Amino acid sequence: MSRLDLMIERLQAQRLCIDWAVDRIQGIDGVVLELGLGSGRTYDHLRERLPRRRIHVFDLAVEAHPSCVPDPIDLILGDLLDTLPDFVRSFDAPVALVHADVGTADHATNRSIAASLAPCIPRLLVPGGLLLSNRRELGAGDLLSLEPPEGAGAGHCFLFERPQDD
Amino acid sequence: MIDERNLQDPASSRLARMLERLQTQRVCLEHAAETVASTAGLVLEIGLGKGRTYDHLRRLLPAREILVFDREVHALHDCIPPSAALYLGDFSKTLPALLPSRSRSVALAHADLGSEDPARDRALVECLTPSLLQLMRPGGVVLSDRPFTELGEPLPLPAGVGLFPYYLYRLD
Repeated sequence: MSRLDLMIERLQAQRLCIDWAVDRIQGIDGVVLELGLGSGRTYDHLRERLPRRRIHVFDLAVEAHPSCVPDPIDLILGDLLDTLPDFVRSFDAPVALVHADVGTADHATNRSIAASLAPCIPRLLVPGGLLLSNRRELGAGDLLSLEPPEGAGAGHCFLFERPQDD
Repeated sequence: MIDERNLQDPASSRLARMLERLQTQRVCLEHAAETVASTAGLVLEIGLGKGRTYDHLRRLLPAREILVFDREVHALHDCIPPSAALYLGDFSKTLPALLPSRSRSVALAHADLGSEDPARDRALVECLTPSLLQLMRPGGVVLSDRPFTELGEPLPLPAGVGLFPYYLYRLD
């Protein structure tokens, strides 16, 4: 597989999973979190698909295309290991969807970042809320692993749901 | 329940547009490689970028020499061409430098130039055209994301391309 094939597969998986998640959270109240803005492609897709939801965006710095830079009021800059726990503490509105495309070229660092962030996610999500991530390790606690939609295989995206409270 | 989703345009987000672009590139590169299967000659990758299409080309045409041009290298670590095949600097100097030794010896040239500045792109096309006309072998193919009007009428694109403009020329 060439780098071109891989990128096509990854973007297809992202699009399919975002569209699937957007469909699934219909009727569930809550904001969206985009962890990792990057080039802004998935943020652009999320805001296009969910024009009426507020999207809070987290990243270390803004490196996105100028057309994909969020409003400053929705942008939380800094190390996710600090900003996400802060957000959990201070934010009390429901979160319906967390999309987390996080990582560097270093696998060990990625695993440790994901493991540190994972405990925040179940505390944020409303029952029925979804986590969509490129890191399997981010889905921890009592989150249920969901089968990705057809065509979005190959380990590019992992989906989790916070179960309904008993 | 009111449908809150916006599903009106399947290719309007930057994610969707990037996908259309990469799918178009893949289909066009594969078509171009088939088209030049019986035309001997080397391959030019003008604009390395991340190196994705270079990586695809070298797998499609493993026996061909591929010369790569860009201002600087910012490709993925495993998509960096060997230094002997890499021509760094301004295209207006690096491409003419192949002449006259490589005249009429190129079977396939892929020029992925697109910036968000149409005037800059037009100037680049104008600057590359005279060199390409001398470098291309009869029957060779030029493929680009920008129109090269001096090369004649573009050919129809192969089936399966995405919603992204691409231009394919076959030289006499």
